[in-house]
Amino acid sequence: MEAHIYIEARLGILGSVTDFTYKWCVNMGLDQTDAARMALAVDEILTDILLYAFRDETGYVEIWYQYTFSEIEIIIQEMGEPFDPGRHPYSAEKAIHENDFEGACLEVVRKMTDHFLFLNRGKDGKEFRLVKRFASLDIRDHFAAPLEEQDFDVEPESDENYLLTPVTSEDAEDIAKLIYRSYSYSYPKEELYFPNLIDMAIRHEYKFGTIVRTVSGGPAGYFAVVKSTDSMIGEVGHAVVSPPHRKRGLMKRMMNKLIEMSRQRGLLGLFGEALTIHTFSQKVNEKFGFKSTALVIATSPKRTFKGMETELSDIMSVVIDFLPLTKRWRKPIILPETYANLLSEIYSQFEHVPKVTAGKEKSDSEPIKTNLDLNISYEKNSVLIIVRDVGSTFEASCKRLLRSIEELEMTSVYIDLPLNESRTNSAIQWLKEREFILAGLMPLFHKETDYFRMQRIRAEVDFDIIQTYTEIAGKLKETIKNEYNAIQKKGSTA
Amino acid sequence: MVLPGDFNLKAVRQISELLGDRKELKVDLEKSRFVNSKAVIFLHNLMIAEPAVVVKLKNPPKVFYELISTLGLHKEWDLDHIIEP
Repeated sequence: MEAHIYIEARLGILGSVTDFTYKWCVNMGLDQTDAARMALAVDEILTDILLYAFRDETGYVEIWYQYTFSEIEIIIQEMGEPFDPGRHPYSAEKAIHENDFEGACLEVVRKMTDHFLFLNRGKDGKEFRLVKRFASLDIRDHFAAPLEEQDFDVEPESDENYLLTPVTSEDAEDIAKLIYRSYSYSYPKEELYFPNLIDMAIRHEYKFGTIVRTVSGGPAGYFAVVKSTDSMIGEVGHAVVSPPHRKRGLMKRMMNKLIEMSRQRGLLGLFGEALTIHTFSQKVNEKFGFKSTALVIATSPKRTFKGMETELSDIMSVVIDFLPLTKRWRKPIILPETYANLLSEIYSQFEHVPKVTAGKEKSDSEPIKTNLDLNISYEKNSVLIIVRDVGSTFEASCKRLLRSIEELEMTSVYIDLPLNESRTNSAIQWLKEREFILAGLMPLFHKETDYFRMQRIRAEVDFDIIQTYTEIAGKLKETIKNEYNAIQKKGSTA
Repeated sequence: MVLPGDFNLKAVRQISELLGDRKELKVDLEKSRFVNSKAVIFLHNLMIAEPAVVVKLKNPPKVFYELISTLGLHKEWDLDHIIEP
């Protein structure tokens, strides 16, 4: 489970926080030594905050504990005295000969974590990000030799002999084997090669799904929904059917089951991230009533998909396809001027649409303060900024945040803006002046609210290899391509 | 003394108060999951003080050795004498 704590920075509370950190890390699946390392890293930072950031003043610290299938991240935020860790490097020589231990805290934090990041967000405070990856058994290590035909379940069953059951944590190893036997090393979701990570995600109910077995009990297919931790929606992903059992309608049966299970769990919608290297997933999504709402450009290492004879390029964009599971779109929206027509067209695909209200800039009910959340994907070399509130300080806050992440040299920066706030309109204009381009609509993506995504891509994008299937996805691609080319042209003439 | 929890800043301050002008400090770390850098610096200062305080540690957690190594003190500290079996 994700957690968020808000504490007064005082010595008496340190032990409680490190206790909580240790227990949370163990609960999330870290072994005890790694959990102790993370608890130590948190202790080191909090100790320095209370000694130096606030000194004799009362100060507060916020800590977020976040979990993904492959790692955990602890984010510590405070608004104390400015500090630049780059100016305080640790030197063992100085420590030994001059008894000067300056910089020891952050040296320890770097050593105890797999990834450590310090972000100075100016007036919005300082942020320490600690990441620890799960050490886990990789199913690929079990197979020394390349796969042969006999590694697969040989004979397909007659259709009625397949058994669909909800996935439990006991299925974890079978799922990992199924992925490996079907895709070898080419499946894009790395975590599915680790039975322990699958087990943990099912136990913590971060995902639910269905597994298909043959009469003899052998796994033939698997399909799961990954629940969003930020909204009552889920991502349909992690789909696999073992090659000998393909073309027997298993994917369709599993998808229908997933939709049924999602409704039972009260999800408001499902989305799919369909790769654009081919249109197969987009076609499947369309068949089940999903509608295209966005085109997100992403980068990824090159890989060849087993059985598809296609080598994926550096650009691995996805079409966001969305299936509402509710008739009632809860929150009204305000259409931003620049993209009003396109957004209207995207919404018109759905049977039920949210109420559109006229936006009045600087409404009294809207927040003064801007609230930005930052999610970093080290694996994808991208960041997602979620704008929780577009306050009157949006431009200054966003500028500070963008500056703080500049040195990370991320390939993609995405920013999600709430469509129920009138200031989003001017925020879009401001972002466009900073090389952000359209991505599209992210329905109900954060706190059950519709968001508008913009993206800034620092990589060469070959739009010829981006294949879209639906008409709307094609329109999104054309608009994005034009905006991208305009920025490239401006850059080359500058 | 047996430390009831982690060897952190709070423990350093408490031990410092209790230590007075004693010439030896023995700490059992059986219940500690970690020793932090402030505690290591505290122990280091005791050992190099004039007159020095003899420091003995029992049952240090695995992370303690990583910390000593990270701070470059593994060669400086005489761990054979500091760590009690």
